[in-house]
Amino acid sequence: MDPKTVHIEFTLNGSPRSLEIPGAASALWVIRNLIGLKGAKEGCGIGECGACTIEVDGKAVNSCLMLAAQLDGADVLTVEGLASEDGLHPLQSSFLEHHGVQCGFCTPGLLMSTHALLKENPHPDHAQVSKAIAGNLCRCTGYRQIFASIEDAVKHNSGEAAQ
Amino acid sequence: MKPEYNVIGKSLPRTGSVDRLRGAPVFAADIQLENPLILKALRSAHDHAEVVAIDVSKALAIEGVVRIFTAADIPGKNLLGIINKDQPLLATDKVRSRSDAVALVAAETESAAHEALAAISVTYNPLPSVTDPFEALKTDAPKIHPKGNLLFSRKIRQGDAEAAFAGCASVIEKTYRTSMIEHNYLEPDAGAGFVDTDGTLVIYASTQNPHYDHKEVVTLLGLGDNQVRIIQAATGGGFGSKLDLNVQGFIGLALFHLKRPVRHVYTREEAYLATAKRHPLTLTVKTGADADGRLKAIKAHIVCDTGAYGSYGIAVASRSAVHVTGPYEIEHVDIESYCVYTNKPFCGAMRGFGAPQVAFAHESQIDLHARDLGMDPLDIRLKNCLRVGSKTGTGQVLTASVGIGECLEAVKPYYREALESGVSAPTHPFRRRGIGLGAMWYGIGNTGVQNPSTAGIEMDPEGHITLFTGCADIGQGSTTVLAQIAAETLGVQPAEIRMVVGDTKYTTNAGATSASRQTYISGNAVKDACQKLGDVLMTEAINRLHSPKDSLVFQDGHVVIKAGPENRPEDRIDFPCLAKRIHAKGVPLFWQGYFDPETIPLDPETGAGSPYATYAFACHLALLEVDTLTGQVTLEKLVAAHDVGQAIHPENVIGQICGGAAMGIGFALMEEFEPQKTVSMKDYHIPTCADVPTVIPIIVESAEPSGPYGAKGVGEPALIPTAPAIINAIARALGERIYHLPANLERVLAASISSGHFGPQEVTHG
Amino acid sequence: MMNTGYVRPRTLEDALAFLAENSGKTRIVAGGTDVMVDLRAGTLKTDYLLDVSRLQALRGIEIIGNDLSVGAAATLSEIYNSAILEAHAPALQKSAVNFASKQIRNVATIGGNVAHCSPCGDTLPALAIHEARAVLSSPAGERQVPIEAIASGPYMCALPQNEIITRFILKPATVAFADFQKIGRRKELAVARMSMAYMADKDAEGRICFFRFALGACTPTPQRNHRIEAMLTGQIPDAARIWEAGRVLAEDTIAVTGRRASAVYKESAIQGLFMRMVYPLV
Ligand SMILES: Cc1cc2nc3c(=O)[nH]c(=O)nc-3n(C[C@H](O)[C@H](O)[C@H](O)COP(=O)(O)OP(=O)(O)OC[C@H]3O[C@@H](n4cnc5c(N)ncnc54)[C@H](O)[C@@H]3O)c2cc1C
Ligand code: FES
Ligand code: FES
Repeated sequence: MDPKTVHIEFTLNGSPRSLEIPGAASALWVIRNLIGLKGAKEGCGIGECGACTIEVDGKAVNSCLMLAAQLDGADVLTVEGLASEDGLHPLQSSFLEHHGVQCGFCTPGLLMSTHALLKENPHPDHAQVSKAIAGNLCRCTGYRQIFASIEDAVKHNSGEAAQ
Repeated sequence: MKPEYNVIGKSLPRTGSVDRLRGAPVFAADIQLENPLILKALRSAHDHAEVVAIDVSKALAIEGVVRIFTAADIPGKNLLGIINKDQPLLATDKVRSRSDAVALVAAETESAAHEALAAISVTYNPLPSVTDPFEALKTDAPKIHPKGNLLFSRKIRQGDAEAAFAGCASVIEKTYRTSMIEHNYLEPDAGAGFVDTDGTLVIYASTQNPHYDHKEVVTLLGLGDNQVRIIQAATGGGFGSKLDLNVQGFIGLALFHLKRPVRHVYTREEAYLATAKRHPLTLTVKTGADADGRLKAIKAHIVCDTGAYGSYGIAVASRSAVHVTGPYEIEHVDIESYCVYTNKPFCGAMRGFGAPQVAFAHESQIDLHARDLGMDPLDIRLKNCLRVGSKTGTGQVLTASVGIGECLEAVKPYYREALESGVSAPTHPFRRRGIGLGAMWYGIGNTGVQNPSTAGIEMDPEGHITLFTGCADIGQGSTTVLAQIAAETLGVQPAEIRMVVGDTKYTTNAGATSASRQTYISGNAVKDACQKLGDVLMTEAINRLHSPKDSLVFQDGHVVIKAGPENRPEDRIDFPCLAKRIHAKGVPLFWQGYFDPETIPLDPETGAGSPYATYAFACHLALLEVDTLTGQVTLEKLVAAHDVGQAIHPENVIGQICGGAAMGIGFALMEEFEPQKTVSMKDYHIPTCADVPTVIPIIVESAEPSGPYGAKGVGEPALIPTAPAIINAIARALGERIYHLPANLERVLAASISSGHFGPQEVTHG
Repeated sequence: MMNTGYVRPRTLEDALAFLAENSGKTRIVAGGTDVMVDLRAGTLKTDYLLDVSRLQALRGIEIIGNDLSVGAAATLSEIYNSAILEAHAPALQKSAVNFASKQIRNVATIGGNVAHCSPCGDTLPALAIHEARAVLSSPAGERQVPIEAIASGPYMCALPQNEIITRFILKPATVAFADFQKIGRRKELAVARMSMAYMADKDAEGRICFFRFALGACTPTPQRNHRIEAMLTGQIPDAARIWEAGRVLAEDTIAVTGRRASAVYKESAIQGLFMRMVYPLV
C-alpha cells in the first residue's frame, strides 16, 4: 500500500464519513476542501488564532494543526453540527442575543471551544471560561460580549448546551 | 428632554449573525465556484531594486499552471491609491518594498501555484534603500518615487507659540515614538470571481469600500463601469487595511484574460507581508501651561513613515496635525506634519488615522504638566477641555455636541474611588499599582475634504421597502444601524426592510467604511432618502385622510392621524394602499438620498478651516498593576466613557468600545510589526481574552444636531484613549514614563529599574 | 503535502520496525503541534509521518516503585489534570497551566515538547529539576538518557533517527514549595521569553534543606543551576539572599549567552523572576 494517500473513517456531525486523503493534509484542509464545510476558518494556519477549532472526541482542537489522518476513528463535530432542524443551538442563540458576534470570523471557533468546555464542565466560572477560550482570538469584540454570551448560556445550562 | 424613538436606541440582533453562527459559507474564501483557478502573487525579494527581467518560462512549464501575469498584461492604468496614485498592482520598472507584487500566477491547484512562485526567476538590480524616515528626508537619500521622498506636509499655525511659551509656568518638550502596527483582522484578505453570462466581471471581496474597488478595477482594466461588479462578501474585520485594493485587482486581471472562475485567498503570512500597516510616528511636542494649568501653546513636529506607498498616508499626516492638540483649547498653535516614503511595507488607514499615535503624546504631555504644576490629572483636563463655543487649533468654533467634559465627569467617580482606595500605596514588595487617564477627540469623516455618501430607498407597489446602500458592514454592524435609521424614519420595523448592501450593480457609493463616518454620513444619506420617500407617502395620505401633514405620523407601516385616541380605522392608511395609488400616478417610489458633511478645507499655509462637521469625544481610565521585577503589566479595569451623540444601537456601541479598548491594549503593551521579522501570527501578539480586563463602558449622549437622530460615531474613538490611559497609569505606578510604544516587557522593566523600583522594596501595611 | 505519507502502526514494535526501515525519511509525529507548523513553513520535508500518539506504550502517568513515569504521548492536558503530578511533580503540572492554549494542550505531548528541542519548551525546566531521564526504544532495545542530553542545541535533536522516546522517568518529590513561572508577551498563548522551575523544602529551623532549580528559554538548552542550588541550601531564606542568588543566576546565564541586545532585558528579568518565584520561601 502506498501510504501517501490514507483512507480514513470517522463520524462527522453524527454521520459516518469515509474518504481518501493526502497523508500530510490538515484536518482543516480536508474539512474545507474535500468535505466542503466552511464553518471552520483559517485565520493563521499555525495554531495561533483558534478560528479553525473543531471538536474531536469531545475535545477542542485546532484543526489546522491536526493531521486529517488523525481523525480516523474519531467522533468529530464542527460548527455545522450545532444547530438542529428546530433552530439554533442554545449557545448560538445566546451569542445572537448578547451580541457576541461582530464580523463573525472567530465565532465558529469560539462556539466549538465553548461547546467542548461545557461538555467537560457544565457550569464553568469566569476563569474557567477564560482558560478555555484564550486560544480563540477575536479582534473585534474585546471579548466582553463573548463572555456575556457564554456566561448566560452557562446560567441557563441544564445540560443541553453540551449536546 | 430626550426624544422618544421607536427603534433608535434599541439593540436588535445584528444582521448576518445567524449565518455566521451557523458557519454558513459567507466569507470570500468560502464561496463555492465551479472549478476555480487559484491565484498567488510573487512578492519582491528586495526593499528597493530595479526589475530588470522576469522569466516565467520554467514556471509556465509546471503542470497545472495556466498563466503568469506581469505588469505588461494590465490593459488599463497600472497605478492604484485612494488619495494619491503611486502604487502599481504589479511592479513595472522597480520594486520599492518587499510587499510589492512582481507577478501573478494562475494555476489549477494550490500546489502548482506554489511551485510556480518558486520557479519564476526575476532579475533585480538592487538599489540603495532607506528605512528611516528622517534619513529619507535628507537630500542624498535614495529616491523612492520620482517626486522625492516627502509625500505631503501639513501646517497649522495660529497665534504665536514661541512668544506664548515665554509666559508659561510649565513648558514641556518630549519626543514620542510609536511602532508599525498590523491590523490583524481575523479574516485574511480574500476574494473570488467569475465572468457572468453577459460578460460582466463579478468579484466577491472582503472589503471596506466596494465602490472604490469598483473604480480602481475598472481603471486598471480599462473597462466600462457596468463591465465590473464588486460584491462585498462577509468581511471578517478590516480596521482600515481592507480599504486598499488587496486581492480585487488580481482577481479582475485574471478574469479579464482567462474568463474562468478564480479565487485569491491570502494566507496570514501574505496578509502580513502585503497589506497596509499603521504608520509609525515620531513626534516632538512642546506644550506650555500657565500656573493655573491652562494650556497656552503647542509646537509639534510630526513625521509619519508611510513606507513605500501613500495609501491613506496623507490623511494620517493631516489628521495627526489637527488632533495633536488633544481635546483641549490651546490658543497658540504651531504644528507641522510630514508624510515620508521609506522602503518599508506601505502604511495606510488603521482605526484612528494617526489620532491614536498623537493621543499618546498629548495625553502624556498633559499628565507631565499636571505633575509639574502639582495638579490632579483629571482637574487639569477638565480645566482645558473643549466646550461649546471653544475654538480648535484650526480656528473652528464648536457649536454643539462637545461631550468631553461629560466624559471626564463620567469617569470621575471611578477615578476618585480608586484614588481613595490608595492605588499607588506601596503595599507589595514588587508590585506597584497605577491609575491613568486618557482623553481624546476625533473628527468624524475625512479631514477637510468632501466625503459624501448616498443611499437609495424603494417601495414597491405592494408596499415592501428595500434599502440600497454601498456601505460595507465589516462586523461593526452598520447594516443593522442603517436599517434602524430607515425604520425609524418610515415608522416600520427594521426586519421589514430588505437590505441590499455593498453590491455595485445595485448600490451607489457610500464611501469608505472608515473614519467612523458611516453612522453619521451614510446614516444621514439613508435618512434623506427615507424622508424623500416619506414626503411622497405623506402627500398621498393627506389626500386620503383629509388631514393636514403636521397631524400625520408614520406608525407600523401606516400613515396615522396622531391625535385620534380611539384609533379608528378611518384615521389610518397602510403603505400598500398608498404605494399602489402613488405608483398608478407615475410618481416615483424610488428615492436617492445624499449627505456630505459641512467642512471647510484647511488652508495650506495656516491650516485654518473646519475640517470636520462634528467630533466624537472620550475618556478612558486604566487601573493596573506593574510587576517591578519583570516588567509584566496586569490590567485590572478600564472605564471607557464615549460621547457618541446618540447610540442608535447601544450594544453595537459597547461592542465598539470594548473591541477598541482591546486593540488599544495591544497598541499600548505588546504590538509591534517588524518588517521581515514579523512573518506569521506567532511573531505578532494581539490581546487574548486574558489580557483584557473588565471594561466598564459608559455611553455619553451629547446629541449632534446634524447627525441622524443625533448620532456621531464611535468606531475609531474606542481605541484612541486606551493606550494613553495605560501609559499614564504605568507612569503613575513607577514614577517613570515611557515614550516609545509599545510599553513592552523590556521598556517597562527598564522604567522600573531607572525609577529605583527593581528589587525587593519596603512595604507599608494596612 | 502531496508527497508525504502517513503511517500509524498499532504497536511500538511495528513503529520501531517502520522507523528502522525508513530511517532518515521518516519524522515521528505525536500531537503534531510543532510538526504541522514546520511542514507549513516548509522547514520540514519528510517522506513519512509516523504517528505515535495512540501507542499504548507511550501513554499513562504513574508511580512505578520509586519512579514517576510519564508517557511520552501524555498530552499537556493530561499533565494539567494529573493528580499524581500535582502531588509528586507539582512544577511539571504547573508548566502545563499556561502552556499554549487549551486546543493545543489537548493534543500536544510532553515527548514532542522535549524532542522538538526548543529552548522555550515549557516542560523542560520542570523535567530538569526532577532529574528526568528519557526512555528510548529502538530495535536494539531500551536505553535511558538524561533529558539534558536530548538537545544538542536550539531545535537540534541529538537522538538517532531510529529511536522513539517512550516515557520519562522522574524522581518524584513531595515538597512544601514548588513552582513554575514564565514570562510571555501576553497572559495566555505566549511562548516563554523566560521560564523557571524550582522545588524546595525547609527544615524545622527554617533553613532551606532541599533546593532544585532550572532555567528555561535563556540558554540554548534549558539548564539546572547547581551554583545557586548550593548557595541557598542550608540558608535561612531572606529577600537579600534570594536577590543575591538571582544575581548570580543572571551572571551565570549571561556568561553562557554573551551580552547580546536581548540579554539586557534577560539579565535583569532573570534576577527579577527568580525573586518573584522563590519569594514564598521568605
Ligand atoms: C500556537 C502554539 C503555541 C505554543 N505554545 C507553547 C508553549 O506555550 N510552550 C511550549 O513549550 N510549547 C509551545 N508550543 C510548541 C508545541 O506545542 C510543543 O512543543 C508541544 O509539546 C509539541 O508536542 P507535539 O506532540 O505536538 O509534537 P509534534 O509536533 O508531534 O512533534 C514535535 C517533535 O518531536 C518529535 N517527537 C514527538 N514525539 C516523539 C517521541 N515520542 N519520540 C521521539 N520524537 C518525538 C517529532 O518528530 C517532532 O520533531 C506551541 C505551539 C504552537 C503551535
Ligand atoms: S487557523 Fe488554526 S489556529 Fe488559526
Ligand atoms: S467578531 Fe471579528 S474577530 Fe471576533
